[in-house]
Amino acid sequence: MSRNKFLKFGVLAVMAVIVARLFFIQIVQHDYWVERAAAQQMMQYTLRAERGEIYMMDGDEPVAVVMNATVYTVIVDPMLTDPEEAKEKLTPILGEKRTAEWDDVFANRALRYYIVGKNVERKAAEQIAEAEVDGVWLQASTKRVYPEGDLAATLLGFVNADGVGQYGVEGALNGKLTGKDGILKTVKDVNNVALSIGDENVKVPAEDGDDVVLTVDRNLQHGVEKILTEQAEKLGYENISALVMNPNNGEILAMANVPGYDPADFGNVRSAADYVNHVVEDPYEPASVCKTFAFAAGMEYGVMTAESTFVNENVTYVDNWPIKNSTQRTDLLGTVNMQTALNWSLNTGSTQVLRWLGGSETDINAQGRERLYDYYHDRFGLGQATGIELFEATGIVYEPNASIYGIDSTYANMTFGQNMQVTMLQVAAAFASVINGGEFYTPTIVKGVLKDGEVVDTTPRKVVRRTVTQETSAAMREMLYNTRRAQRTNGVDKAGYHIGGKTGTAQVIKNGEYSFDETVATYIGFGGTEGELPQYLIMTRVWEDGKTAGGEAQALLVFNALNAYVQDYLKVKPAGV
Amino acid sequence: MRPQATYTTRRGTTMSTSWSRNQNTVRHKSKSLGTISNTMIVGMLVLIVGLIYVAQGTQATNYDYELSAIDDEIAELEARKEDLAVEKARLTSIAATENSEVANNMETASNSGFVTE
Repeated sequence: MSRNKFLKFGVLAVMAVIVARLFFIQIVQHDYWVERAAAQQMMQYTLRAERGEIYMMDGDEPVAVVMNATVYTVIVDPMLTDPEEAKEKLTPILGEKRTAEWDDVFANRALRYYIVGKNVERKAAEQIAEAEVDGVWLQASTKRVYPEGDLAATLLGFVNADGVGQYGVEGALNGKLTGKDGILKTVKDVNNVALSIGDENVKVPAEDGDDVVLTVDRNLQHGVEKILTEQAEKLGYENISALVMNPNNGEILAMANVPGYDPADFGNVRSAADYVNHVVEDPYEPASVCKTFAFAAGMEYGVMTAESTFVNENVTYVDNWPIKNSTQRTDLLGTVNMQTALNWSLNTGSTQVLRWLGGSETDINAQGRERLYDYYHDRFGLGQATGIELFEATGIVYEPNASIYGIDSTYANMTFGQNMQVTMLQVAAAFASVINGGEFYTPTIVKGVLKDGEVVDTTPRKVVRRTVTQETSAAMREMLYNTRRAQRTNGVDKAGYHIGGKTGTAQVIKNGEYSFDETVATYIGFGGTEGELPQYLIMTRVWEDGKTAGGEAQALLVFNALNAYVQDYLKVKPAGV
Repeated sequence: MRPQATYTTRRGTTMSTSWSRNQNTVRHKSKSLGTISNTMIVGMLVLIVGLIYVAQGTQATNYDYELSAIDDEIAELEARKEDLAVEKARLTSIAATENSEVANNMETASNSGFVTE
């Protein structure tokens, strides 16, 4: 073979190899290399939606109580950083934000990444940048800040390390607050600057979360929490919860639990129970405040008025089970009217209402149970979620024909708020309808959304249903007013105001039986100008594990303290002014 | 039909032709550039178009840099705005107001009532 031919074959062979290789790369591995090229030339960012802020009202002005702030993580490259310089310059700037001991940071100089500070605020970050320490850099991120500190912590909830809302408003309205992330996919240059050239660029802007405005009044909330803290110390109880509500539209003005916690340091609590908003998430037996509902049902069916009488023996038997009055005063024995029964919270009186509802003087029957259930469950909404914009428990109200042992005694107990589980909010919403003329409003905590400084997307407050007639409502208001006056409240309520309310003291089930050693105290009441519809509703609850608390002895006192403050804050005028 | 003519060339070759001797046989041919010239011109044109494209691309990239710088500035200003809003909220918080020097120097209000006109 001549050299020419050899050369030709050689060149052809080389060309064939090149063609084969190109075929392999361009055809067989096409997708792989396209992907590699795109990875080098394209950049893709998630455009983070900013979490919405949470506002409370301050009079007519919304004020931020949960906000976002840029914070920085301070990172050191131990290989490049001079230990002495870092210690000297960064220690005073980082202060409490320093998360590592310097000896640990520089123990292994081969490391290239060590976090020495977290949640460092802008001013400190700027000082760190100005210090110009080699091998130190800052990484920005966003965190929730709470300018009001621990105000309304159990109501607001917190945001966990993954950016997900937990408990309270943060948890229940997480979707509304989170918004929707966007995408930026574009060609980049060597400096990672997004270039507009290229025909595959994608930019979907992020949709920031809504700024939610609560119906809660910041000052009122602060005042209520302050009073609860004082009362908890004064009365010597660990837990107090309270709720202030506008009974004429269902708006929550304050919702507080003591003890609370610091949402900025949410890991630092005694137990997970501290996160719970007991007003909505913790069903309990509210006890005799429910007599309000039993008596209202009795009036609605025309079986009783405040003057109706029955024979009180301080004990009555249902299913051979004794139902006793908490007070065993002998001067109450004999014929008493229903106002007296409410004043002294006679369980025998409310049990008698159940009998009357069934058309009997002596027996509890299916008709009585069905009528009570109709009011308790279907009209007042007890044992059901109210529909408020928070996580809430439903509770239990047994159906009138439930297959449980002693359904009659269960229903007799329900007339004075035991053998049922409801939340404070359910009781408050029902109570509001009894005293406001008979209109049931869904309780609400959200006033609207803040846009360009204006509160918009406000939901009109609608009457969901009528629970009682205006006549029954007026009669119940009067009975509750008289009951409050009959209790130890002389001199507490100012003249010209119409303040009414009812106590409740519930035994707690321990080891399957009602305990005499632990009780929960409740008080629910209303207030307003005499001769007018109530302008506010307050409910209080006092309890502690292993301790007895009384509706009159403790919860009423908390109500009194709150009532004086709320009355002044809301500028409720006495009659004649 | 044109008459056949026989003549002897200067080299002594006898030739026969249908043309008359000494007749002008000028062949007109249009002038055109050569292959190399054509290639160069096309190359130049491609180069010019390429330069225009690159110039436009560079200009677009310059805008992209400006946009990027402005975006960074906006982000920085927004972060500062957020910080200031937080600082303002802290300063006007109830706790800060209650603990302020002004509040501490205020006298406790006595009970007051409503005035009837």
